[in-house]
Amino acid sequence: MDNLCELQEVFHEVFDDDTIVLKGTTTAAEVGGWDSLTHINLIVAIEKRFKIKFATAEIARLKNDDQNVGTLLGLISLKLER
Amino acid sequence: MTVGSLEFLALLLLASALFSLVPTLRLRRAFLAVCSAGFLWTLIPNVASWIALAMFILSGYAVAKLLRKWPSLALLWAYLVILLAAFLVLKKYSFLGFFPVLLSIPITIVGLSYMLFRQIHVLVDSMQGEAKHLTLWDYCNYQLNLFTLSAGPIQRFQDFQQSWAQLTPIPVGLYELSKTWLRILIGVIKIAAIGAGFLFAYTKSYSRLIEIGSGHPTLFVVLPWFIALFYLYPLYIYANFSGYCDIVIGGAALLGISLPENFIKPYLSRNVIDFWTRFHRTLGFWIRDYLFTPLYKVVAEQDPATAKSYAFGCYFIAFILAGVWHGSTSNFAVYGLIHGFGASATKLWETYLVRTRGRPYLKEYLQIRWVRVVAIAVTLHFYAFSILFFPGPLDKCLAPIRILVRALKP
Repeated sequence: MDNLCELQEVFHEVFDDDTIVLKGTTTAAEVGGWDSLTHINLIVAIEKRFKIKFATAEIARLKNDDQNVGTLLGLISLKLER
Repeated sequence: MTVGSLEFLALLLLASALFSLVPTLRLRRAFLAVCSAGFLWTLIPNVASWIALAMFILSGYAVAKLLRKWPSLALLWAYLVILLAAFLVLKKYSFLGFFPVLLSIPITIVGLSYMLFRQIHVLVDSMQGEAKHLTLWDYCNYQLNLFTLSAGPIQRFQDFQQSWAQLTPIPVGLYELSKTWLRILIGVIKIAAIGAGFLFAYTKSYSRLIEIGSGHPTLFVVLPWFIALFYLYPLYIYANFSGYCDIVIGGAALLGISLPENFIKPYLSRNVIDFWTRFHRTLGFWIRDYLFTPLYKVVAEQDPATAKSYAFGCYFIAFILAGVWHGSTSNFAVYGLIHGFGASATKLWETYLVRTRGRPYLKEYLQIRWVRVVAIAVTLHFYAFSILFFPGPLDKCLAPIRILVRALKP
């Protein structure tokens, strides 16, 4: 299973919505319920699933308007490579 | 010397003209460092304060370097406890009145609260490998930069590094330069004319209300003065602080530093959480990133399913700490408590709507025009109420409310 599929499963669990289909361009505004609390729940779930850790500054950057699922995937891949 | 004073503006004009003539990056950095040191010189009153400032910054730098090499949560916490204890003493927090000797230490460091937040951010980011290439020279210039020394915006170290790497004037061409100076001029007008006018009217209204309140006034007599001070202080705060930010953001741009915006139409916020992304937003983001998120993340890691119900506790803790950070008297804790309540109420209302009407309805609801207008009005009045607890010690803040409550009694 590639990282996108795995990430999609995490989204289904966190948002309790199996209809979410992720693309690299998907933003927080396009996923119903992606608020500041769910964002942290999502980060915690991703950390558990991929066995990685996000830095405080990275979590903050992921909240920026120019961020999307693509940048999140890029960050996950970078951490998995390390 | 204060930002917005004639001396500051004259020196800024001179410095920006000279700065554009400095040929190399190394010299421009030295030039900015000299300007910052000169500004600092006017604000630090004695040798003891210089020593305390040096210890504060050097210890932060040394621990950040250690954390970068040997990441350790225990070391971070041990240093934070010492740092916060030193901060409480240096800021002379009123509860330390039990130890009068601590309050009589002749040390004054302007901008210490902001330095503390920048220091904590660099420590955490260093430990997590996010503050790279940290040198003592860069760190001192980051912490003591004249444009962010005494108040907001709270710039992140990584953003400072980006500007510091080039340090060339940001406004290019006559049009951009004119716009920057116009912004600085608007900032001066906001502080010296608009803000000062609102503060004068507020002070007069406050004094009049206290004078009236010493007798047995009716509600009809009290209400106009209470309404006046209720609206005047938020207007003063906005004019004064956003004006200050206009001057420092514009001034910093002239000397090659890009500072983040600190105000985006804050009195059009639709709830307290939205408010802190618009009013002193760099503080709001700092609270979110370095207080709220780590707190809530610990809770969510334990039990993700029930974490949201504990979020309210995190809001209260984060906002009370942020409130206390504003000043050394108990009124600021009340100010933070009110905002913690406001943030929790916002989340509770959203949760209620999602549970009873579904998430798609929440999206529709947020787009209804009258709902938006009501939400903005409620948030504005909520903030105006909270800021009643800002101008001074708790007794002073409570006096107008007591007079109003007394007048309400038949």
